[in-house]
Amino acid sequence: MKVTVLLSAGLHPVSGRPCPAAVELQAIRLAHTLGTPELTGLHAGPAADAVRDALGQGLPRLLWLETAVEDDPLAGLVAALATDRPDLILAGRQAQGADDSGLLPYALAKALGLPIIADAVAIEPAGEGAVHVVQALPRGARRRVTVRLPAVVTVHPAAPTALPFAFAAARRGTVERRAGQAALRSGAAIDERPYRKRPKLIAKAAAGASAADRLKAATESAAGGGRLLVDPAPDEAAREIIAHLRELGVLRR
Amino acid sequence: MSTMRLRRDPRTERAAHRIDGTARPRFDLAAAAETTGGRLRRNPRAEVERMLVAGTSRRRLDRSQRSVSTPLHIAAPAETAAAPRLIVIEEPAFLVAVVPDAPGGRLTPHDRQMIGAARLLAEKGGAVLALLAEPCEEIGPAGADRVLLVEASTGYDPEGRSASIAMAVDGLGVRHALFPESVDGGDIARRVAADLGEALFAGAESIAANAVTRASRGRRVEQRRAPPRLISLAADAALPYAGAPREARALQDDPMPTVPTRRAILAAEIIPADPARVPLGEAGFVVSAGNGVTDFDGFRAVAAALGATPGASRVVCDAGLMPRAAQVGASGTVLEATCYFALGIAGAPQHLQGIARCEHVVAVNTDLHAAMIERAGLAIVADAQKVMPALLAALECETETTA
Ligand SMILES: Cc1cc2nc3c(=O)[nH]c(=O)nc-3n(C[C@H](O)[C@H](O)[C@H](O)COP(=O)(O)OP(=O)(O)OC[C@H]3O[C@@H](n4cnc5c(N)ncnc54)[C@H](O)[C@@H]3O)c2cc1C
Ligand SMILES: Nc1ncnc2c1ncn2[C@@H]1O[C@H](COP(=O)(O)O)[C@@H](O)[C@H]1O
Repeated sequence: MKVTVLLSAGLHPVSGRPCPAAVELQAIRLAHTLGTPELTGLHAGPAADAVRDALGQGLPRLLWLETAVEDDPLAGLVAALATDRPDLILAGRQAQGADDSGLLPYALAKALGLPIIADAVAIEPAGEGAVHVVQALPRGARRRVTVRLPAVVTVHPAAPTALPFAFAAARRGTVERRAGQAALRSGAAIDERPYRKRPKLIAKAAAGASAADRLKAATESAAGGGRLLVDPAPDEAAREIIAHLRELGVLRR
Repeated sequence: MSTMRLRRDPRTERAAHRIDGTARPRFDLAAAAETTGGRLRRNPRAEVERMLVAGTSRRRLDRSQRSVSTPLHIAAPAETAAAPRLIVIEEPAFLVAVVPDAPGGRLTPHDRQMIGAARLLAEKGGAVLALLAEPCEEIGPAGADRVLLVEASTGYDPEGRSASIAMAVDGLGVRHALFPESVDGGDIARRVAADLGEALFAGAESIAANAVTRASRGRRVEQRRAPPRLISLAADAALPYAGAPREARALQDDPMPTVPTRRAILAAEIIPADPARVPLGEAGFVVSAGNGVTDFDGFRAVAAALGATPGASRVVCDAGLMPRAAQVGASGTVLEATCYFALGIAGAPQHLQGIARCEHVVAVNTDLHAAMIERAGLAIVADAQKVMPALLAALECETETTA
């Protein structure tokens, strides 16, 4: 199976230095769970320094499309993937260090006419020309989707952690450099300024209330008007509790 | 301006009393001089009076609302309180679409915040249009003027859903379309953006009629621009709509037709979470033990039988009877669960803060006056050591009869 992992130039979340994005390294690991695929990394950008470290974490080969800083990587990636035709294209859920909108895999899938499945935490082969993709849903639930190949799959941070860094593998890995495509970014210019953390808005803390009222709002029941059973027989209490939980729909069995 | 008085200017006042034509300056102080203009003078007492928050026993000042004048402030709520009538917009100047997740036809808090944000964008004559997958009763009170049902194809079909939403957004000439930046909402938003070939302003962290902002470059840079057409909104970035209910009129009689797409998804099934391994903060149903529980093997069996994630109060964790990771409360985990079942927990404020976001609470406690009993939707005053075996027996008996 031919698998391509899209690698973006990331910034380290703490130091801000160039490094591969964590979720894309997790994508490399997911690719390894598919047996022994023919694995390639693909990066479009002005420099490959940031993504070269991925060679030490399970990636044998990197294809670098050299483009100018202001170029949109999409056109070059689409052209390269259209000629290469991998069975599976893995990308991160969201880059960290570029535009970080998570839009590129979707635009890519649209341009290549491929289906896209988001937020994978596991990928398993499912017979000829299909894979099972396990998606992460909120509250720890999962969704197992069977999708026909070729397809684009984005990887969720809840996927297994990346393979450990191996220096010898990093030396052994090869980087192939090709000229990318010049394509100016479309869209209006956006005003940029240093990031400022904003407070989360909480609806309940009523503006004109005293501190005691605010604490009450934070700890009081939203529904109110509960039922009270004083000293019931244990069996009766158990029946009441089970009936109540069933009514709320939290008891599945 | 009732708070401003003219400031006295003694020099001009004196000059006004001066008698002309004498070599030495002479003043006729008895003569009534018309007050000449001067600078405005602040009246701190009147200002404080206007900042006073009514209805609290302790004196509180609200310094943020200085610009709102008192008579208006009192008149507006009195009017709406008297008649919480349906707000109807007959001829909207433009439409702001929202695409709530609404799992099972119920709005999530994130959906409500998004509709609140859409109301901000729809000021000056716009209407909020909700594009729903299935009918939802709460949508009018939550702030939607119009409703359109899009796509009702069975199973997990994000391609078909996004194609019909893209068609609706394009066909109706919607000015803005808002999506929640949740797992499914964010996916649909990006699919729609790709279908329309437009940029998505992903994960907006503040929103107003004139500007939206989002984080980029690994949260080092904030991007800011006038609201574009497609926006996805991060959680807790806007307040839910709190005004009078809206009409939620159906835009068309029949739902939007589904767009035929080539389905590449062959099958999809939901795998429910394993409650014993879900992190406490993500769990949907938590059973928690407090100082009133002595039989911990029984407690763990109850948690497993109910299919709930086990939690504990701080006293129990301090005693080493449950792992520290299981602690619920201000210094433990703040829950997001739908239901919380407390066994032998008194309900200290530090503990209650941890369950502030739980919708439903069930409590078992021997003390009728415990705070947890007051907080609970179903409160049982009984010994936890007797209720737990009874619960286990009842659950076992049920599985036997169904099997
Ligand atoms: C800075 C600070 C932070 C804290 N943070 C947390 C926190 O994050 N989480 C937390 O939980 N606590 C926290 N606490 C501790 C908190 O104040 C309480 O001490 C603690 O929550 C009490 O736990 P409890 O309800 O299990 O025990 P208790 O207060 O001892 O209550 C036991 C309850 O069980 C009932 N009971 C007794 N026997 C039975 C029986 N046989 N059957 C049924 N019911 C019975 C009693 O009536 C009583 O209501 C914090 C305290 C401080 C000072
Ligand atoms: N310049 C690039 N070259 C290769 N892959 C990229 C590039 N930019 C983004 N990607 C991929 O697209 C994903 C989402 O990126 P973004 O849309 O920028 O958030 C990333 O996690 C990468 O897998």
